[in-house]
Amino acid sequence: MHGFDLLAVLSNPDFARMLWRGALVTLVVAAGSWCLAMSLALVLLSLRLAPVRIGDRLVAAYVSYHRNVPTLVQLMLWYFGIASLLPDAVQYWLNDHGAETIYGILGLGLCQAAYFSEDLRSGLRAVPPGQAEAARALGHGFLGSLRYVLMPQAIRNALPALVNHSVSLFKNSSLTMAIGVSELTHAVKEVENLSFRTFETYLIATIAYLAVSLVIMGVGAVLQWRGQVMGAR
Amino acid sequence: MTSDAEMIPDVKIAETSNAGTAMIRFENVTKYYGAYKALDDVTAEVGRGEVVVVCGPSGSGKSTLIRTVNRLEEIASGTLTFDGESVHGPLKAAALNRLRSRIGFVFQSFNLFPHLSALDNVILSPIKVNGAKREVAKARAMALLDRVGLSAKAGAYPAQLSGGQQQRVAIARALAMEPPAMLFDEPTSALDPEMVGEVLAVMRSLAADGMTMMCVTHEMGFAREVADRIWFMDAGRILETAPPDAFFSNPQHPRAKKFLSDLRH
Repeated sequence: MHGFDLLAVLSNPDFARMLWRGALVTLVVAAGSWCLAMSLALVLLSLRLAPVRIGDRLVAAYVSYHRNVPTLVQLMLWYFGIASLLPDAVQYWLNDHGAETIYGILGLGLCQAAYFSEDLRSGLRAVPPGQAEAARALGHGFLGSLRYVLMPQAIRNALPALVNHSVSLFKNSSLTMAIGVSELTHAVKEVENLSFRTFETYLIATIAYLAVSLVIMGVGAVLQWRGQVMGAR
Repeated sequence: MTSDAEMIPDVKIAETSNAGTAMIRFENVTKYYGAYKALDDVTAEVGRGEVVVVCGPSGSGKSTLIRTVNRLEEIASGTLTFDGESVHGPLKAAALNRLRSRIGFVFQSFNLFPHLSALDNVILSPIKVNGAKREVAKARAMALLDRVGLSAKAGAYPAQLSGGQQQRVAIARALAMEPPAMLFDEPTSALDPEMVGEVLAVMRSLAADGMTMMCVTHEMGFAREVADRIWFMDAGRILETAPPDAFFSNPQHPRAKKFLSDLRH
């Protein structure tokens, strides 16, 4: 047994490099899946708003699958299940281009899109109906009303939920280690195996995750504060 | 009562091509909410430059009627024309939007866009709907805010304005689209009593400039002073139309007589 010593991990260049690389992959996975989730959420939302009933049904099914099946299972389905259905050429290409990371981003992004789209939808429902009427009365079409009048307010309403779900998305990036993505938790596990410094390595991971989560929440708080300065109703 | 609004240059009232016809014309307009007949065979017209005040008890169909003019409410049968164009015909979405953009509408609850400053509320639609240049729209919006006495509040957000100020911005926002007519749906009903006057002053000055106006309001003083004609509604029908003097001093319909005598108590 040796005493608590953070530097024993951090001052070892190999360990430090592994942790640093892991942290970068975590940021790439989180940022990539966030962008995918947000763009897809907007698509899902517009399908829900479209006057076609089938679109609404499809999105409802999509949302309930992604909200009710564990994220880890969804990731494994992508990596082990969907991947095996792809043509060989595509599989080889993916394997040469970091298949794990790509599937990780896809799995997390598709899952989180369900949450983001619901956040935006409830934000939109909270906009008073008079706003849509005023936009229509001024001659804005459906898309113009959404873009210039309704969505800016919906996003502001949805901000607290979007921030919470962004933090979960960031934390869920650690699940991708189960499909072999060499992100931070994966790197921590390796460093722990090599250094036998269990407490120190997990402490480092804890601090790193906590720091980024707090930054996300801080950004959210600033955005909300700016919204309030403008004068929320 | 004088207001600073009256010292400002005139609002430009759009020239229209259908000058021979009524500005707004209802012909046998009927509307149901489920089984309830909200509008019952309404036939009436608002002439060019005319100020019509629609009054009547709650639930008589006044707001429903005014909201059919820009098709915020659909109708079951009949025809409705605005500036010679049929509003409830088989219009494509783009044509309906174009038509709506030419009908100024002021809501009871203002409905200013809370995420935009007063100025941005006024310039949004001229730019995004009419394709106006930002600088042009801005100059015009400033003139309109000046006209409603709020140029100093151009940068303020709706939540920072009083109800009366918000409603005046809403009027400026509607005027920015250069509509040939303005519709007011109980524009002062949501206001504290001391703010009613400032909004009525703006409406009065618009009427003085020759704007065609259709107003649903409970402000009988305003009706008496500014209206060219009163439409009295009950149970979805227009029971009486008369110049204000005749209407207030000698109403013909028994329901109108009762309405006015109830008001006096």
